[in-house]
Amino acid sequence: MKKIFLMLLFVLSAVILVGCNEPVDKRVNLVTGVNSSTLADNVLTRPVYGAFTLLAGYGIELKDVKVFRNEAGFMEIQVTGYNSAVYKKRFDYKVDWLDSNGIAVNSKANVWTTVSAKSRTVFYFKTVAPTKDVVDYRMNTRETPK
Amino acid sequence: MKKFAILFVIPLFLLGCTDVQKIDTTNDTGKQVMSLDYRDFDQAASEMIQSLLSSGVLAKKDGSRYVVATSKVINDTMQRIDTDQLTSKIEEDLTNSGQVVMTSAVGSKSSRDETVYEMRDVRDSSKGEEFNQGTLPQKGQIVSPELSISGKIFQRNLPYDKKNQQVEYYFQLKITDIKTGLRFWQKEVLIGKRGSNKTVSW
Repeated sequence: MKKIFLMLLFVLSAVILVGCNEPVDKRVNLVTGVNSSTLADNVLTRPVYGAFTLLAGYGIELKDVKVFRNEAGFMEIQVTGYNSAVYKKRFDYKVDWLDSNGIAVNSKANVWTTVSAKSRTVFYFKTVAPTKDVVDYRMNTRETPK
Repeated sequence: MKKFAILFVIPLFLLGCTDVQKIDTTNDTGKQVMSLDYRDFDQAASEMIQSLLSSGVLAKKDGSRYVVATSKVINDTMQRIDTDQLTSKIEEDLTNSGQVVMTSAVGSKSSRDETVYEMRDVRDSSKGEEFNQGTLPQKGQIVSPELSISGKIFQRNLPYDKKNQQVEYYFQLKITDIKTGLRFWQKEVLIGKRGSNKTVSW
């Protein structure tokens, strides 16, 4: 009985911990599949997955986003992430650059770009806005197509 | 007669079922191919543009814009590639960045606009009299480029194991100051692919 209670407590705390992640920057959207496995979305597998991720790691975590202007006056962002999974993770990101009116700025450089993160390591990537008019951004992610 | 009908009708059905899809070039999740496709050019161009804008070499101290010509980009792959697939994307973003203005007066054949010299030939011929003289280009008006973009795309095929091969594509670009001959910037982007020996990369 005590064992069952301890197991339930372990699973419950795992679920709570996994569910308490506050986003570092809401403009960076880590979609399901990048930040976790699709198992985490399944009501039945979620508790087991939560317990598993405590041991094996959850996936891509956003640690920091630095926004600055380079010498030429272009906005640059540097994303710091951590792959807490026990396996290498690849994902794509794409940035929508917005001017002061909130209008998206078109660019040929605005394509899905792949990032490869080794297991249990911190990774960085940097991207630069296409014009000096850019004042804000939105970053989307997806699983890299196989 | 029955056999003939079957032979005639079945191909018609098959033809009608041919599945043609338009590629969603914004969110393409299609399989990779061994040869270079548009996604590879997009990736190479994107990395080149990002590197150029981040480097700051195109930022003139007085705030004015550099005049840039596109020189030759050599295709040293086994594929028939129009290297404009790479350069036109870069030219477009560099122009939109507000740091440079491209010239169509000199450079590689595809980057030149024949009308620039055609109108000068017209000016110097009897046909020139038909034009309003004030609207004709005068001598000494073409602006010389300050920087030139040139480069090369080449390919290496390597055996990976008994069944698979590795193909490496190298995209190299450089920007040279025409007056001094000094190289301001250069970048190499590598795109590597592994696949069956049965697939061809040309």
